[in-house]
Amino acid sequence: MPYYETVFIARQDLTDAQVKDLTDGYSKIITAAGGKIHKVENWGLRTLAYRINKNRRGHYVLIESDVAAPAIHEVERTMRLNEDILRYMSIREDELSKGPSVVMDKSSKDTGEGREDRKPYSKREAA
Amino acid sequence: MSAADAPTTSKPFFRRTKSCPFKGENAPAIDWKDIKTLSRYISERGKMVPSRITNVSQKNQRELAKAVKRARYMAMLPYVRHDADNQR
Repeated sequence: MPYYETVFIARQDLTDAQVKDLTDGYSKIITAAGGKIHKVENWGLRTLAYRINKNRRGHYVLIESDVAAPAIHEVERTMRLNEDILRYMSIREDELSKGPSVVMDKSSKDTGEGREDRKPYSKREAA
Repeated sequence: MSAADAPTTSKPFFRRTKSCPFKGENAPAIDWKDIKTLSRYISERGKMVPSRITNVSQKNQRELAKAVKRARYMAMLPYVRHDADNQR
């Protein structure tokens, strides 16, 4: 069965317990459909790059699963109806990722500018 | 753009024969979650940098674009960075 990577962003006002309940609910839908959950990662409360529905931060959760497509459709449907979920995205993967995702590995902030050492891309940018 | 303000003989950000940064064994995988790597390929404004500057191969540039767009959708990267964030 294909591998799916589902990430959703929950509202910042939710407590960790509520986010966990959400995650468990979706995991249950997946396992009920005969799928396997490979990885569940809670990236915690992160600052969003832009405001979504007036929220500046959100709880990010990643679920990696091995399940047939209809289950993912069902999960997405429930996410769409839930008001506490700001964004969700499911991606089909060809192969399973190994180890924790990149987000968990970093202890430092990820939003650094990598291009500081280079010249500005264009004169317009520098100005 | 660059042709207008550079002298005709030199190109300010022309890097000679550097290969695609994603080629080879040690190359990082293009992952939309890896914003540390991705942020090297977006400008200060948040725009994607063309491959003629970064020397990314065509195929990888397409994957990079896809990854950046996904990261933007999931609010890990901004669509536009406003002047407050710019460093002068």
